[in-house]
Amino acid sequence: MNLREFAIRYGFLALLAGLVVFFSLATSGFTSPQAAVFILQSVSLTGILALGVTATLVVGGFDLSIGSIATSAMMAAAYVMVVLEQNALVAVLACLAIGALVGLINGIIICYLRVPDLLATLGMMFLLIGLQRIPTEGRSIAAGMTMPDGSTAAGQFDPAFLALGRHRFDFILPDLVPASVVVLIVLAVLIWFFLEYTRFGRLMYAVGSNARAAEFAGAPVRAYKIWAYIISGVFASIGGILLAARLGRGDIASGNNLLLDAVAAALIGYAVLGASKPNAFGTAIGALFVGVLLQGLTMMNVPYYTQDFVKGAVLVVALVFTFSLSGRTAR
Amino acid sequence: MQGTPVFVVKGLMKSFGPNRVLKGVDLDLHPGQVTVLMGANGAGKSTLVKIVSGIHSADGGTVELSGQAFAPSTPAEAMRAGVVTVHQAINDGVVPALDVASNLTLDRMSGKGAPLLLNPRRIRREAREVADRMGLSLDLSKEVADLTLADRQLVAIARAMAHRPKVLILDEPTSSLSSSEADRLFALIDRLRAEGVAILYISHRMSDIRRLADRIVSLRDGAIAGRFEDKPLDYSGAVDAMLGRKSGHDAVDARSAHAPVFSAEGLRLHAGAEPFHLDLGKGEIVAITGLVGVGKTALAETLFGLRRPFGGSMRLDGRPYLPTNPADAIGQGVFLVAKDRADNGIVPEFNLARNVSLPFVHRLSRFGVVRRGAERQRAREQIAELGIVCRTERDEMYALSGGNQQKAMVARWLAEPSRLLILDEPFQGVDIAARHDIASKLRATADSRATVLFVTELDEALETADRILVMSEHTLVGEHVNRGVDMERLLAEVAGRGLRGAA
Amino acid sequence: MITRRTFSKLGLALAAGSALLGMPALAQDKPAPFDKPGDVKIALVRYLSTGDFFQAYLAGVESQAKALGVQLQVFDSRQDAALQADMVDQAIALGVQGIIIQHGLTESMKEAAQRAVDAGIKVVAFDVNVENEKIPQIEQSDRDLARLALEQAIKDNGESWKAGYVYVAGIAPLDRRNETWVEFKKKYPGINEVAMFGTLDNPIANSVANQARSVVSANPDITVMFAPYDEFAKGVKIAVDEAGLSSSVKIYSADISTADISAMREPGSAWAATAATNPAVVGQVSVRALAMLLAGEDPGKQVIVPPTLITQKDLNDNDIKNMEELSAKLPQFAHADVAMPAWMPNPNAK
Repeated sequence: MNLREFAIRYGFLALLAGLVVFFSLATSGFTSPQAAVFILQSVSLTGILALGVTATLVVGGFDLSIGSIATSAMMAAAYVMVVLEQNALVAVLACLAIGALVGLINGIIICYLRVPDLLATLGMMFLLIGLQRIPTEGRSIAAGMTMPDGSTAAGQFDPAFLALGRHRFDFILPDLVPASVVVLIVLAVLIWFFLEYTRFGRLMYAVGSNARAAEFAGAPVRAYKIWAYIISGVFASIGGILLAARLGRGDIASGNNLLLDAVAAALIGYAVLGASKPNAFGTAIGALFVGVLLQGLTMMNVPYYTQDFVKGAVLVVALVFTFSLSGRTAR
Repeated sequence: MQGTPVFVVKGLMKSFGPNRVLKGVDLDLHPGQVTVLMGANGAGKSTLVKIVSGIHSADGGTVELSGQAFAPSTPAEAMRAGVVTVHQAINDGVVPALDVASNLTLDRMSGKGAPLLLNPRRIRREAREVADRMGLSLDLSKEVADLTLADRQLVAIARAMAHRPKVLILDEPTSSLSSSEADRLFALIDRLRAEGVAILYISHRMSDIRRLADRIVSLRDGAIAGRFEDKPLDYSGAVDAMLGRKSGHDAVDARSAHAPVFSAEGLRLHAGAEPFHLDLGKGEIVAITGLVGVGKTALAETLFGLRRPFGGSMRLDGRPYLPTNPADAIGQGVFLVAKDRADNGIVPEFNLARNVSLPFVHRLSRFGVVRRGAERQRAREQIAELGIVCRTERDEMYALSGGNQQKAMVARWLAEPSRLLILDEPFQGVDIAARHDIASKLRATADSRATVLFVTELDEALETADRILVMSEHTLVGEHVNRGVDMERLLAEVAGRGLRGAA
Repeated sequence: MITRRTFSKLGLALAAGSALLGMPALAQDKPAPFDKPGDVKIALVRYLSTGDFFQAYLAGVESQAKALGVQLQVFDSRQDAALQADMVDQAIALGVQGIIIQHGLTESMKEAAQRAVDAGIKVVAFDVNVENEKIPQIEQSDRDLARLALEQAIKDNGESWKAGYVYVAGIAPLDRRNETWVEFKKKYPGINEVAMFGTLDNPIANSVANQARSVVSANPDITVMFAPYDEFAKGVKIAVDEAGLSSSVKIYSADISTADISAMREPGSAWAATAATNPAVVGQVSVRALAMLLAGEDPGKQVIVPPTLITQKDLNDNDIKNMEELSAKLPQFAHADVAMPAWMPNPNAK
């Protein structure tokens, strides 16, 4: 293995390790179990969304609607509990159903109505940003809120639901690992296993790499694409559930920052281990990378716009890694 | 009738890396003549066209236009000098979002000294002049996107002719036109010929060639293989020169089928095509040959469920067979090694083992999880069976040579037993050694199934098949057992005379 | 469809209702043109509209318009500055007598506002400076908001503490609140700002929570968080809770909503106090100032709606759960005695 191959394969992991060392020296309190868990918690939302969008990237698609699916799910969870006075289980199921349904519609629009993926999911994004506001006429949802007709909503967030965002599991230290981190890790392992080891994941990669070859090999190409969008939608809605549980209310939001961070994580993932393709492990590392960077920079009192700049720079470097450096060895 | 040629190509050479595409081509074009250039895929036609139209530069040789040296470095330069090319992809020649009038005058708009503001009436007037000169009767205000392919083609040519070129090159202009649409194109070409333009017409379609050619030049393996100028033109000879036969290829010990597997009755591939009959038996290899665009791929795709027949019925093992999609066909034991492996076969992100396992990955899985050991074992077996040259079964596809890539594509489908194995142009971009390996593997395993090959090159059919069928104009026009084949009749059938005689 | 007839009926019914309740404002008592309120048309031209604040503002405008019995037309440009200017022209063309300009950019609104004034239309502006002598400015005092919250912080914590400050520069109200913070730091040298952070990435509370977590783990000795925008305060509260520092950190903020109330009232909540102007009251004041102009009275060049300090204790003592109860139980929050001539109907009187 020559130097370039080594750089392509381990460059990003080395960069991540270097960042951790740098922040440990530059700030106090960066290296502790709490800080490590916190980084995971801060990336759990974007990480989950990024894992979902990875599925669409694998089949050669893209999903711009994940941010708004997450915020719509958050609104739906709040609405189901606060306005419809249902329990946590109903709220969670409603969110998952919304995610799956939106994914299905995205898939059908893209595969059967032949709208290009970026445009279809962009449209869906706008649609959801509007739709989430219709039931409450643009109000955010919180316990005791006033409804458009003047009455007061009687329900409130189920404690079991809030626990999804706030409960902590004992691990090394008592009350250390938040539920959202557990969800992130479970989903990351699931999607990684699914994409790498099952025949469904294998054929999804085939569809994304050469759809005609996959079709000629007998794979139902459209079905795989639609499933990818359903996975993406469901993951985004899980992100929305965790968001609602953390905030304890349903906040009007477009979710565009969630989308951008998730896409950045998935694209950074291309560069991890020189994969040069969407992959779940890389996506998880990419999300972690962004989390470490933001945690460290915030602890050093770096303002938000500089952080955005650094995030963008990392993404550009990762893309150069992927498309330029590793591309040359491919030829 | 031969005057002085207006366009003379001498000893033209071009290599891409180690691949010598043109090995010294000589060609001359005369004013008022249509010269047809025939050549199989990979013979070097496109490269020749790209050099004279300024897209590529030659490695050696000279080109003269009206006695002057001609070496354009851009397409615009070639056009200004008077050599205009209408490429195969019709939309390269027109701007679909603009109307016909704008398209016809586009080059004047963007040229030097063009007025800054557009005067719609002037554009319309100039466009009308161009259209009238070409005998083009089109609504000039229509958007090109709304035109039929044929009309777009005419607009592209008319636009090219607005430069009043000395040489017009048409690269397979009828490949996406119906026959009535093509007639309008031919009328335009007749008009240009009468005006004294030297025309180079590149095509495989025998009907076009019969209609237009004043002379035929056959290109084979980067060199001119034959010139046919004496009337009546020797069409079979031209086809023969283009497809060529190397003497002394291994004679095949032609076998006959020992049980019927597949049959088709009254099969029609599209509305205008004659119905035909097809029988494929167990143990035999049948090659269906014919020029490019005569319906070979259409038939392969019909057998594999990628398209529906226009009429007729098919039976597989005595049962009606009408697959709805490839998965259905594969389920019934009909496999296709598709042509153009880069587009239709290879999954570039997968390594060799994963490419081989692709269609049957479900049979290599337990509870949905791929058994990687079994997958690699299968790949190793196939590497040994077909003699794929590689380091390990985990090699990336781009690391393999074309022949080995193609072996992997064939291995993919030989790994499981089939009833009917279809191979569409399986020797495309494959070196001789790999071609022999694939052919002998096919013959060695043919006993358990019916095998049908679609090939343009006669050599490939003669080397591999037990029986050769000839296709022309979307129907079958001849049958030969591969034992002392009557080459004259075969070539005549390929050249299209067989159909007329039979019909 | 709401026709002019139903509107005037509504106005009549409301007027009659007020009369029954013994309110002084009978339709006949009002100055022209409000003696025939059904013929008065006013327009609200909005730049910002999404979010609780703007919803409540609109509700205030609607309630006051209803109390007056005038017709209200709402134009919403959704943060499109050029469109907002066009909408002013549209309102002029519709023949409205009065226009409320709600937010917007000085550059784009200045000329449109002038055109409206030239057309003889009365105009008031909320939170946007259109640089026009004839147009009264309705303002919630951001400096007062920050001052009230910080005074409470001094009262609770003394004059010397370590502070975390949430701020994003370039947002006008936040910049004004920042001025007060800078003054306070000068006035009380014991205040030590050890960290400043902030972001407007939405959902804002979630993004700020992530930042605040980093800040409190780097600076666990912070005792006061000044987060002069409720979305910031929510984020800080989430982070403080997650870091288990709720008992050692106090949060002071500005603005309020139903969700904020429940967050402040959670047991052991770190969110000590917030200063807020009731957006509905601001909406009502906007309409009242416009009505005074229409009646030929002068509301003043600047109409400032005073903020109210709301502490955790206030909320708990009165068992306030949402904005309605806040209005009902803290009268100073429900109504501001601004732009209230005797003839003006009070929409909050029931």
